[in-house]
Amino acid sequence: MLEVRNGGFETTVQDYPGRIGMLSLGFAPAGPMDDYAFRFANVLVGNPPGAAGLEITAGGLVVAFHDERAIAICGADMGARLNGQPIELWRSYLVRAGDVLEFDYLQGAGFRTYLAVSGGIDVPPVLGSRATYLPGAIGGLEGRKLREGDRLPLGEPTTDPAQAAGRRVPASLVPAYPGYNEVWEVEATRGPQADPDYMTAEDMAFFFSHQWKLDAASNRTGYRLDIHKWQWARTSGGAGGGHPSNILDNGYPVGAVNVCGDQPIILCIDGPTLGGFICNAVVAKAAMWKLGQMVPGWSYIRFKEVTLDEAIALVKKQDETIHESNLERS
Amino acid sequence: MTGHMTHPSGVILASFPERNGRPSVVYRNAGDSFLLVEFGEMVFDLTMSFRVLGLDDAIKRNRPAGLIETIPALRSILINYDCRQISVRDIIDFVEEQYEHLPPFENLVVPSRIVELPIAFDDKWTREAIARYVQYQRADAPNVIDGTNSKYAAMYNGLRDEEEFFSYIMATDWWNAALGFFPGLPFAYPLDPRYAVVLPKYNPTRHWTPAGTVGIAGPCLAIYPVESAGGYQIFGHTVPIYDPQQRNPAFRESPVLLRPGDRLRFRPRVTDEELEAMIQAVYDGTYQYQIDETATFDVGAYLRFLKEVEPEAEAFRRRQAEAAARVPVP
Repeated sequence: MLEVRNGGFETTVQDYPGRIGMLSLGFAPAGPMDDYAFRFANVLVGNPPGAAGLEITAGGLVVAFHDERAIAICGADMGARLNGQPIELWRSYLVRAGDVLEFDYLQGAGFRTYLAVSGGIDVPPVLGSRATYLPGAIGGLEGRKLREGDRLPLGEPTTDPAQAAGRRVPASLVPAYPGYNEVWEVEATRGPQADPDYMTAEDMAFFFSHQWKLDAASNRTGYRLDIHKWQWARTSGGAGGGHPSNILDNGYPVGAVNVCGDQPIILCIDGPTLGGFICNAVVAKAAMWKLGQMVPGWSYIRFKEVTLDEAIALVKKQDETIHESNLERS
Repeated sequence: MTGHMTHPSGVILASFPERNGRPSVVYRNAGDSFLLVEFGEMVFDLTMSFRVLGLDDAIKRNRPAGLIETIPALRSILINYDCRQISVRDIIDFVEEQYEHLPPFENLVVPSRIVELPIAFDDKWTREAIARYVQYQRADAPNVIDGTNSKYAAMYNGLRDEEEFFSYIMATDWWNAALGFFPGLPFAYPLDPRYAVVLPKYNPTRHWTPAGTVGIAGPCLAIYPVESAGGYQIFGHTVPIYDPQQRNPAFRESPVLLRPGDRLRFRPRVTDEELEAMIQAVYDGTYQYQIDETATFDVGAYLRFLKEVEPEAEAFRRRQAEAAARVPVP
């Protein structure tokens, strides 16, 4: 059991890849915003990469352990301390009954961090997943973020915690996050409604060259970018509506860049599943993790166009990277 | 496969012209996890939904490994796939084969449950949402008359009064073409064109809509599954269509009540007090949803029906257009 003494700003139970196969009923997959850090944290403690762990946004979480476990924290630096002593990111540790893990708030670049515990968080799966989906109030613990007094059941570890502890992700595989006001390069393919049918070639050239500012009003459902006056290939949305960004409603890919009027919004893992605005690009699956570490109101994004084949190659390479064989003994 | 690359931008992966009365198909790139399949032209044609759901059913029944799920909409199917298991080329070949073998449109008989939902019109919940809108958002909204949207809805459609508007809502079955945006939210269209009311959207959109609210924008009817913002004209309230706690047997398999291809039928008309008791009974687990699980929808019979009622439908559309021209848009 994991005892929550302070829920922090926004801490949720997540698993990977989340609630799959429910888009046609209106459920986004949920899961970790940064699945790279999340999966590596699990691998470090000897869990399957998708096992349920905690997503800690901005910080403030305090938890106490009631038995022996391996733990790992991967993602943004929030000055984590185990029994008052600072501990490193991207490394596994052994904890015992009575140990207390505290997170401060963001210390530098990045926005979310992930806590994996050997055995995983054993809340009951809902519709096939333990991921918390806040807009639908399901999954995780009662479909909500964690708060003081919560008690999270833990699963039975599949490897000896003492063996899993004391390992690290090699420095070459730890991503360096761009700082506040710096630019993230995000791989993306053209989307279903790009040029020449919906946007002009100039619109798409602008899209892939502009430094987009990430709006402060951004969260797990959507990342809002700055307003732009597009040229548009059409003068109206036809049967979809008056504006050339309108279409007859269709399914939205997870990670799509959804252009609503003048504003592009990246649809994140809690985002809407269906709607009537165009999607001019789709963030590569292997680049989705970067969204999780951007800071709303501060970060900039430049989209780097990749082909479908390149995007698929990135997925395969990422799967090979996040693997136990790449860990080091520390 | 006879498709060809037609797009210099690479957005269109394959396209096929109309064949033997089957609408044209375009396969649009939607990234390394999604593929968008679009049928015919971007016009509002409800009959396209029957083809889409017929094909969707065939795809689901013969689903190859790596095809995770399909998200049908009015004239499209978004396919979610695992790029580690299947290529886009193979998916296109598979879908084309299913499309080729789809029975002639007129002979399609698709599974379509009939779901009866009680409705209270101009109920206290709807009135409260509208009152808040007038107080906090827009005092001079032309779509609010006597604290309701129903009088405006009647005027806009050339109907005598709100009672005649309500009778139109109850006179037709509503075809649920898709679910999405929020968990379980239906996008339902009137099957009887003699009662196909249309309405413009709110401007600006409403900050608050209670769960269970029934509204219409354009030709589309929606039921709000969760408390949320909204843009549809609202005029009624029904029993829950989403229960994350799954407290009623109707939600045992899924917290979402409705499915694509369901027909919604609003009956009986109830008072606020009666509806309140029904909602309580839903959560007690004693309310019995009226759902005909085995019903099917015969497309050929429906097309004959459309032909029969066309003169009356045309007369209504004319009356409607004349009325709408005299009524201010929000």
